[in-house]
Amino acid sequence: MSSTFDQVLVGSDVETFEETELSLLETLDHVLNRGLVIAGEITISVADVDLIFLGLNVLVSSIETANEVLRAREARSEVSQERPINQ
Amino acid sequence: MGETEQKSNGNSRYTATGAEGFYVYCIADRASSLKILSTGSIPSAMEENTELEIITVDDLAAIVSRVPLSVFGEDSLDAHLSDAPWVTVRAMRHEQVVEHFARQTSVVPLRFGTIYLDRSRVEQMLAEKHDQLLPILERLRDREEWGVNVYCDRAVLLENITSLSPRLREMAAGAKNASPGQSYLLQKKIEALRTDEGKLEIERITKRIEERLSSLSEGASRLRVLKVETTEHGELRAKFAFLILKTKFEEFRGAAEEMAREIEAAGARIELTGPWPAYNFAA
Repeated sequence: MSSTFDQVLVGSDVETFEETELSLLETLDHVLNRGLVIAGEITISVADVDLIFLGLNVLVSSIETANEVLRAREARSEVSQERPINQ
Repeated sequence: MGETEQKSNGNSRYTATGAEGFYVYCIADRASSLKILSTGSIPSAMEENTELEIITVDDLAAIVSRVPLSVFGEDSLDAHLSDAPWVTVRAMRHEQVVEHFARQTSVVPLRFGTIYLDRSRVEQMLAEKHDQLLPILERLRDREEWGVNVYCDRAVLLENITSLSPRLREMAAGAKNASPGQSYLLQKKIEALRTDEGKLEIERITKRIEERLSSLSEGASRLRVLKVETTEHGELRAKFAFLILKTKFEEFRGAAEEMAREIEAAGARIELTGPWPAYNFAA
């Protein structure tokens, strides 16, 4: 889902670069908020773009939260699944 | 996300017989575009069952793909834009196409969501804007955009601000020698000042980063921060975009590393992102 480009974190505490996957939000920010605007016959208006981005901002955070919840749940179900096996 | 996308697509599945528009991703020179499109693996177009195409006028090419107007038409597009998973998937497809071309040639990246009703309108746009687009392509050649995000950990900043600010150092020394009553009042004053000085210090740091990195760039732009994001690196305080000659990137990265070490005591961190297509320098 994330960009194939690198994200380089320049850490003062690390001598070498830490290269991680670009966050989805950073990519969406670039694609939605920037770039040359040529008036096409149908063009997303600038006012719309902010709304879309803020909406996505919430969505992306909630996906991340959902993933955490999911992981926690999986961890729990792994534990509970052990019981029937043991019985 | 795949499932949501399916759902979003459900009522808008596109048939070849429906009216089509042309979605434009970016503009590049004709020769390079033709070559890129005929070699290697090509990223997916905006919609399933469509392919990337090139519309050329003279030496310019628009990288486009067909989109169903039942989805991308004026009325239905509005509705889809509030469907966040739908937008996310399409925005990423837009990005992947622009990246694919940007890696191999100079491109003018367009913002997400520019659609023409037919091929001749794209040609007309290329012809009309030819004299503006060509210089932009040349200006961006062999350059790429790097993002610089400045984060600050407020707790660390405030903890260290006394040693960073001469004014606060002086007051702290004064408080030591004052009577208990005076000292208390001075402490209160110092607390308030610490917050103000902290804000000033992070602004000074930001300015220094901007100046230092600008001097190595072919263009610099301070971007607005749409939402104060708090991440594991602290609070996002400033966002910049720099246009960097590819041959100068190592020097730029070295300077960013050096700055990162300098600002560590203030709880500030620098994050570099990129290389991006030159989204912020395309106009």
